[in-house]
Amino acid sequence: MTTASPPRPAIRIAHLNHWYGEGDLRRLVLRDLSLSVERGKTTFLMGPSGCGKTTLLTLVGALRSVMDGSVQVLGRELSGADETALVETRRRAGFIFQHHNLHRSLTVLQNVRMGLEVKGEAGKRDAIDRCLEVLSAVGLADHVHKYQDQISGGQKQRAAVARALVGKPELLLADEPTAALDSKTGREVIELVQRLAAERGMTVLMVTHDNRILDIADRIVEIEDGRILSEAPPKADAIPHPERLPTVWTRV
Amino acid sequence: MLRARTPLGWLQLTHSKSRFIVASAGVGFAVLLVFMQLGFMNMLFDSTTVIHQQFKTDLVIMSADAEGIVPDSGSFSRRRLIQAAGVPGVADWAEVYIGTLNWTKPSDGTLGAVVVFGVPTDVRVFANSALDAQMPLLRTSGTMLIDEGSRGDYRAFFARIAAGEQPQVKLAGETVTAIGTFNFGSSFGTEAYGVVSRETFLQLDRSRHPGVINMGLVTVTPGVDLASMADAVSKAIGATEVKVWTMPDFMEVTRDFLRVNSPIATIFTFGVLVGLFVGAVIVVQILTSDVQDHLGEYATFKAMGFKNRYLLGIVYEQSAILTVFGFLPALLLSILLYRLVGAAVAMDMNMTWSRVGWVFALTVGMCLAAGTIAVRRIYSADPAEVF
Ligand SMILES: Nc1ncnc2c1ncn2[C@@H]1O[C@H](COP(=O)(O)OP(=O)(O)OP(=O)(O)O)[C@@H](O)[C@H]1O
Ligand SMILES: [Mg+2]
Repeated sequence: MTTASPPRPAIRIAHLNHWYGEGDLRRLVLRDLSLSVERGKTTFLMGPSGCGKTTLLTLVGALRSVMDGSVQVLGRELSGADETALVETRRRAGFIFQHHNLHRSLTVLQNVRMGLEVKGEAGKRDAIDRCLEVLSAVGLADHVHKYQDQISGGQKQRAAVARALVGKPELLLADEPTAALDSKTGREVIELVQRLAAERGMTVLMVTHDNRILDIADRIVEIEDGRILSEAPPKADAIPHPERLPTVWTRV
Repeated sequence: MLRARTPLGWLQLTHSKSRFIVASAGVGFAVLLVFMQLGFMNMLFDSTTVIHQQFKTDLVIMSADAEGIVPDSGSFSRRRLIQAAGVPGVADWAEVYIGTLNWTKPSDGTLGAVVVFGVPTDVRVFANSALDAQMPLLRTSGTMLIDEGSRGDYRAFFARIAAGEQPQVKLAGETVTAIGTFNFGSSFGTEAYGVVSRETFLQLDRSRHPGVINMGLVTVTPGVDLASMADAVSKAIGATEVKVWTMPDFMEVTRDFLRVNSPIATIFTFGVLVGLFVGAVIVVQILTSDVQDHLGEYATFKAMGFKNRYLLGIVYEQSAILTVFGFLPALLLSILLYRLVGAAVAMDMNMTWSRVGWVFALTVGMCLAAGTIAVRRIYSADPAEVF
């Protein structure tokens, strides 16, 4: 595929400020943050605990209202957007959480089907086939009728990946999706996400602390104290904390 | 499996079978309370008209201020009945004297009261054919028939009658011979009933003028419309001291009188409200704790793009499920209990369609109200908190 004109970014953030609390308790957690994320690329958000990564992700995912500055996601401005616009943006994105957040009264298949139901596509003839297709892509073909308490942690997270991907989102947002997994399983899940994302040309924005998977990213954005500290990949010597990173960390 | 919507309310409620059974039982218990309250109330009202059904008649003429047949029938002039007899379409008529007389109870020899009906023996007065068959026996002066449902232990006494003996009874100071028994069925208010001939009655109740009666029974020729006959008879009499009813209408009057003039309706209405309140509290409890248990899942759904409305739907779906799964077993159990209670007190305790409809509507209202209280927590599920 060739790109004729420069593609519009999937996410464009400009001069974003965000704070929690009011009055004396008011704390600024994102400070004049600007960031652009290209379509179809996998970007990792990194940084110390409390630096504002999750806050940024919830703003991009339209889970929180923008207070100050501009957040454009998939061509839509979220600053000042009403509830309907926020809900629409959520539906175009897929979410993977630190914990699988599967519904415990639903089977794996029923959970995944919720990803279609939210788009009003669960009643379609091929709905179940689509669910089964992603489930076998994540290696859960033999577990579709099990409940979450009958499968392993890695399998739960794969089910969550399937639920996020079944609706073919244009944007995938993930917050430490490997945190609850051992390193081998974590890497498998991330590779899976990356492979499926690449197949579909999906934009991925992922928060992670996991140094072992950094090679998977197209780009790494480091945040500290609510500001962007550095952006990789430029050259190897510009890596913010080289000792934390493996030698092969970018595919660009 | 092509439903567009996952039945989440159902799946959540039934995920734990034991919890679901307890929840349905809670709702069912409230519904059962309501059914039993209404059943008892109507049985009380019905009990006042059991006596009405003993008489074989088309129309009944009563004093205008009659509250029923027993105990307060009121009285009026026998001439009114004679006037009615002349109306075209009237086939037969009978006067009934009613009095509460003192007697020495044949059960244990203590003093008591018995409601005595004095009736003519040459026309059909009573619906019960076993009783009717004994009427000619009453032509012997000083004889009476006694209700088997009289309160007290009459077994030995009735056994003597059944064996062909004719035991003596002290009634209103006179000695009367008990020559038979009959069965009026149960009644809450009256200790005992007796039936005597018109003539015997007037001998026993010496203060009674023969021209003053308590009830007039009128049979019309077959095929005549009863309501218009009642009007015609009423016009012919032309007096405000009496009223002419069809028997079903007079039964309604008696029930209404009790409804308006006794605290029965208020007491049982309160009972119904308590039942509904208990039910609503149970349902709020069940639904609220279910919402609380699934708050994380609901927040996840919101993050995925489900609207509040979808989540509210889950709670209302659950309240509808609890309505049905609480109501149906409670209905079946109520019908069973009605039978048992009815058999125990020898009265009809019947389930009516309108009561089923009303209680179902109340149950729906109860669960809807409870759902409306429980859904408020849905709004506290914050999609920003799921990461
Ligand atoms: N709901 C909230 N109310 C008040 N303060 C909050 C809230 N959520 C986050 N914060 C604060 O805002 C700051 C940024 O939080 P955030 O969760 O975005 O950090 P993070 O980079 O995701 O950290 P971690 O790596 O530990 O997940 C932190 O200091 C946190 O304590
Ligand atoms: Mg975080």
